[in-house]
Amino acid sequence: MRTRACAEHCLREHLEETEMEILRVLTYLSGVVFVVAFAVKVIKYFAMPMHVRWELYPIPHEGKPYGGSFFEDVDYWKKTRHKDHFSQYRFMIPEILFIRALHEDNRPLWYWSFPFHFGLYCALGGLVFLAIGALLQLGGYVPSSSVLAALAQAVTMILAFVGFVLGTIGAVGLFVKRVIDPALADQSAPIDYFNLIWLVAIFVTGFLVGVTDLGFTRSREFLAGLISLKELPRLGALQVINLLLFIGFWAYFPFTHMTHMVSKYFMWDKVKWDDDPNVGDPGVDAKIKRYLAYPVTWSAVHVGAEGGKRSWADIATTNPWAKPEKEQE
Amino acid sequence: MRPEEISSHRGEQLIKLKPEELAPLPPPYDTYEDEPFVELKEDQKARWEHSLDGVSALTLPKPQTTEEEQKLVEAFLRGLEKLLTRENNWTFLQPLMLSLEYCAKCQTCGEACPAFEMSGRKDIYRPTFRSDALRKIIKKYLSPGGKVLAGFRGHDIDLNWETIARLAELAYRCTLCRRCTSVCPVGVDNGLITHELRKVFSQELGIAAAEIHEKGSVKHLQFGSSTGMVKAAIVDIIEYLEDDIEEKTGKKIKLPLNKKGADVLLLHNAGEFMSWPENPMAFAILFEAAGINWTLSTDALGYDAVNYGLWYDDVQFSRVAVTHLQIAKELGVKKIVIGECGHAHKALTVIADRLLPGAQLVPRESSYTLLWDIVKSGKIKFDPNKNDFPITLHDPCNIVRLMGIVQPQRNVLKAITPPGRFREMTPHGVENYCCGGGSGFAIMSSGNFPDWKLKISGRKKLQQILNAFQGEMDPSIKKMVCAPCSNCKGQLRDTLETYEVFEKTGIWYTGLVELMVNAMVDQEKPFISWPDEEEE
Repeated sequence: MRTRACAEHCLREHLEETEMEILRVLTYLSGVVFVVAFAVKVIKYFAMPMHVRWELYPIPHEGKPYGGSFFEDVDYWKKTRHKDHFSQYRFMIPEILFIRALHEDNRPLWYWSFPFHFGLYCALGGLVFLAIGALLQLGGYVPSSSVLAALAQAVTMILAFVGFVLGTIGAVGLFVKRVIDPALADQSAPIDYFNLIWLVAIFVTGFLVGVTDLGFTRSREFLAGLISLKELPRLGALQVINLLLFIGFWAYFPFTHMTHMVSKYFMWDKVKWDDDPNVGDPGVDAKIKRYLAYPVTWSAVHVGAEGGKRSWADIATTNPWAKPEKEQE
Repeated sequence: MRPEEISSHRGEQLIKLKPEELAPLPPPYDTYEDEPFVELKEDQKARWEHSLDGVSALTLPKPQTTEEEQKLVEAFLRGLEKLLTRENNWTFLQPLMLSLEYCAKCQTCGEACPAFEMSGRKDIYRPTFRSDALRKIIKKYLSPGGKVLAGFRGHDIDLNWETIARLAELAYRCTLCRRCTSVCPVGVDNGLITHELRKVFSQELGIAAAEIHEKGSVKHLQFGSSTGMVKAAIVDIIEYLEDDIEEKTGKKIKLPLNKKGADVLLLHNAGEFMSWPENPMAFAILFEAAGINWTLSTDALGYDAVNYGLWYDDVQFSRVAVTHLQIAKELGVKKIVIGECGHAHKALTVIADRLLPGAQLVPRESSYTLLWDIVKSGKIKFDPNKNDFPITLHDPCNIVRLMGIVQPQRNVLKAITPPGRFREMTPHGVENYCCGGGSGFAIMSSGNFPDWKLKISGRKKLQQILNAFQGEMDPSIKKMVCAPCSNCKGQLRDTLETYEVFEKTGIWYTGLVELMVNAMVDQEKPFISWPDEEEE
């Protein structure tokens, strides 16, 4: 009888260990998918050709708050350009942290979008401090005996709880707004609601994890195990559910339009604010020459691409309708 | 209406425009009743595609057979594929892909769009409507696994002839003012998507508005000007201008032509020579009085600064821009100065900037900047009291929001008008509203499109102008809108005439240089004129 009970216990332990190892693999996998997919996305945009200028004013680095540019100066090409980079940060920081554009131009949505985004930032900040706590733990510093570790734990708790509450309020608000506002409902697909529900589930289960383990001790130990590749503590059902929801989302996230922080960087820095004039920089010239040699395959007759036999340089310097000088006169 | 509904209701019109649903205008137009929208005639309806909103801007013929329809659908998809390649679209690939990939569907852009607002908030005119329809087509038909869970992922759209035809028309219901882009929290550029959609139609299917292609950029490249004016004609016109200058100012001015090594090559929109000759005359008077070493060109394309390719076709754009730069290079001028033409400003100064290696470029500058420099220099004496009437300023999108030239034109106006006479529109500067004629609308006159552009795309500007002069609506108080852009002037002229604004309120329009010459101390007779004086 005792042997049987022992065997059952051993089996259960073994199963739990296996479960933890599966969770470990899934977490690593999610991290790898996130990093690779995100990197591919960013590299894809960095590798795209330099586009023609398509700026939009105001551009903060011009240092003219009313939206002016260097074009306002006579013979601007003879003058040294001064870029006010500080103005860019002054614009971008409130934009990222407080979603300023929405605050100014779409206040009813901002009431929900701001807590949602700020909640996300806080929750992610909580995760960062959880990781700091895990590293401290691996170095032998635990909250019960180290002020630094206790501080990391306290910040983790504050950020996590604020993040989960704000994130839930924001996500639920955005969901409801999307349902009841006809303009938003018309533009929304089931996947948009699904994403919000998924995020609410992460926030709510995260909150409950915090309530049942106030200092996120088990979560920190789990993270320490992941970092050190050592044995993982056993997680409760709620923690497992929260973890699976989170790592699933983490891996899914780079494939969605929710990675709009990528577009935000490129759209502002590389498109709307890219007003650098072409002053014959050799690097820029080389790029332009390479692009002008690209074959063109547009089919309309007036293009005259001849199915890719002619390059941009060829077609741009050909006037199919040109008349001899005499006829012109 | 959901964007995927663009492919539904085949054979029917998606929406019907009603004048009573248009956004209201301020007094004295608060009780004004717009005429019903002009409908196409029955034979036109039978021939032309009009299933979007009953309007035909492109007079697009309907395909006669299923095979023809299928061919057009395939060509459209082929064009979209090309649009997403670096070889065919290096010019705009990065901003396009970013805009296609990241819309958060928040609808902030809708509130910024004058066409959407003034139409009575018709969903099909939302900046996101056409973008999202295009996005869905690309996702479903051109992305790997695009048809898997298409409904759940939100891009279950059918691709048929109606979808394409409606998209073609819809590409010409946006003025490309990019006001929507200014407010997008993610940076999505619906104006750019519209621009790119026009390119697919033009560069792959050969479909474009006749006035900007056959009668526009083709004519420009064929005859030297989009107006059809050949070299001999411009030489004649310039002689007439010299006579007119003498008649109006008493000054004998010989306009310099093809002067090698001049400091400035002045490029005018040729429409000015035809419709507003006072504008090139005023430039000549000011430049001569300021002692500028300048010239005009009579080479083909050198006397017409327009570049309609900017609105719909990179190939046509490149051909014109390259020729403009070549002409300046051959003349050996120090810089090109663009006259009062918004899209020509942006085309040659901004977009063409990365079209050629630096050595092949010539510095390009706005006339607004140079004009303010002339005023500042004190070389010309102005008497502001000669412009003693209420005046407001229209900001051409291409020059202001898209180039950041905001202050020089204001400085000039303040220097040539008495204190208190100049007032801003609300909003203004980089937040301005389009005149309604942007992206080619000012010159587009096919089908029943003129009615649309006057009642919808131009309505916001009319509302702004009327608001700027509230309290002074008595028609005996003459008031002026300074609109320093050819196409904007064209649109304003049509709007003001259609709504009989001068007769009802005394509001008229002119350019910046005309007002400057009008204020010159040594100018004895008024240089600007009002419609009632013309009639006399």
